[in-house]
Amino acid sequence: MQKYSRELSVAIVLALLLLVMAVAAPAFYDPQPLLSRLAREAPTLIVACGVALVMVAREIDISIGSIFALCGVCAGLLAGSGWPLIAVFGAVVVLGAVLGAMNGALVAGLRLPSIVVTLATMVILREGLRWKQQGAFINLPDAWQWFGLSQRGGQWALIAGALIILAVLAWASRHLAGGRFLYAVGSNAEAARLAGLRPRWITLAVFVFMGALAGLAALLNVVQSPQVDPKSGTGLELKAIAAAVVGGVAVSGGRGNLWGVFVGVLLLACINPALTYLHVEAYWEKAIQGAIILLAVIFDGLRNRRATN
Amino acid sequence: MKRFLSLALCASLAILSACNKSPESGSSNASGGKKLTIALMPKSKGNAYFISCKAGADEAAKELNVDLLFDGPTDPDPAKQNEIIENWTTLGVDVIAAACENKEGISTALKKARSKGIKVVTYDSDANPDARDFFVNQATPEGIAETLMDEAARLTDSEGEFAIITASLTAANMNEWRKHIEARLAEKYPKMKLVDTKPCDDLKDKAQAEATNLMSAYPNLKLIMAICSPAVPGAAEAVKQAGKTGAVKVIGLGLPSENRKYVHEGVTQSVVLWKTKDLGYLTIHAAADLANGQLKPGAKEYNAGRLGTLKIEGDSIVLGKPFIFNKDNIDQFDF
Repeated sequence: MQKYSRELSVAIVLALLLLVMAVAAPAFYDPQPLLSRLAREAPTLIVACGVALVMVAREIDISIGSIFALCGVCAGLLAGSGWPLIAVFGAVVVLGAVLGAMNGALVAGLRLPSIVVTLATMVILREGLRWKQQGAFINLPDAWQWFGLSQRGGQWALIAGALIILAVLAWASRHLAGGRFLYAVGSNAEAARLAGLRPRWITLAVFVFMGALAGLAALLNVVQSPQVDPKSGTGLELKAIAAAVVGGVAVSGGRGNLWGVFVGVLLLACINPALTYLHVEAYWEKAIQGAIILLAVIFDGLRNRRATN
Repeated sequence: MKRFLSLALCASLAILSACNKSPESGSSNASGGKKLTIALMPKSKGNAYFISCKAGADEAAKELNVDLLFDGPTDPDPAKQNEIIENWTTLGVDVIAAACENKEGISTALKKARSKGIKVVTYDSDANPDARDFFVNQATPEGIAETLMDEAARLTDSEGEFAIITASLTAANMNEWRKHIEARLAEKYPKMKLVDTKPCDDLKDKAQAEATNLMSAYPNLKLIMAICSPAVPGAAEAVKQAGKTGAVKVIGLGLPSENRKYVHEGVTQSVVLWKTKDLGYLTIHAAADLANGQLKPGAKEYNAGRLGTLKIEGDSIVLGKPFIFNKDNIDQFDF
């Protein structure tokens, strides 16, 4: 129980917020907007899971918003030129993985700090896209929205897809060798190496995986609207990293649980709508999000001090 | 002055040598023999907005019989803009008309051009006042705000709740518009109520999420006014997905091309913007008349060909009230 105290405390905060909403603004639970909000967070959840794994391996990836945007634009262009869904799906996942491999090769191969490498690729990809698209939207074929399902069916499919990925990753990170390696490398790379692991390959692999997840998330975002905004995903990296931190993933590596990340995503996703429903001015939104992140980090700091004492 | 004298000399020679020439053709082409060369610069060349401006510029150039150069960076790049202006200065064009990406950055290059006797006008976005003769202003903040507010009132019979989606709560131009929207609201529409203003970070997806929440949090909401361009289709998609097409109206400031689908489906009622073609036309018209002395500093009005007589406020020539794109006319515009 002690081990999961952090995840539990975030879950309690979320439960309290949901309770307040139930009393103060029951319209918060109206089915249509609720379903729409959850579907909208499905891509965020996938990206947050990916970045949490990167953080567990003691790296960071802030280029994910740009990879997300680039994959979204590619999905739109390919769909427009008549590619079937499954082919576009494959293409964007591979594209994401290749972009992730670029980050991974620079970080693991040249031993460059991941914050600097991904800062650079974030800017390069984002500006490249701006140059190419000039901010113009891409129209999707009609049958593309919601994968051709009904609106409600499509939204459920998105939510279910994201939850399945979460569950699989949460299980795999705990029980499969590859998952355990991430924790080993993130806790102590040198010890992991002495134990026979190859930390640099593991680092490369986690960046490739992150890129692929960002590509997948981009596709799940694209199908929610008939037009692709090439600016989409701006700020997604902060949202995902914040959710991971709030959910108990340690920036210093080696610690974190994807179910905690799930609760973190939900908590941060609720703040903004909650303010709208409570008729609080939007000026507070970012301040409150910042305060929650700060509290999470302070909590971690205190716990680490207790542990070392 | 030297330039003016030589122009005057040329003009008088032209009139002497061709007495039968009508005075209109003489005034639009003052040098008689030599055609005016006007250089037009967009913020970026590939942008649909500026391509549409250029269509109007071509029209004016043809009408006034002037040569038009069109060049700019491929992506919005202040350094590249300066480079092109310096080339034009060396080339010795008669007038430079520029949409400025960076006010400070471009002003030095424009001032240098002026010191060489080249006339300068700016359009769309201004440079420093001492770097140009006139600014062709597509719309004043009051004009934009009043058009949006009046259109909102017209669509809701001047009563009920509405909400605004903006890009950010700190964007200076949008805060200026919001100030004027609220002033117009207080002054003319007492039965309407602005219930909330949400930022969407200039992202369509976030605008969609905000609009979804707004409609549910304010069940009596009758209209969403989106004052940044990605928010207009974003809000429209939210209204459509909520099944509230027609019940919650959508208006906004944006490009016709991004909103055509929703306007035809009846989700978005009106999109407000200026006619970019007219902006290009007016820019070239004013540039030509500046060069041939028809338009002088201090003028209060300006007769701009097919656009009629326009007001000059200080040293900005105002294109007029913004244009409202709706179901009936949106297909005539391709930007």
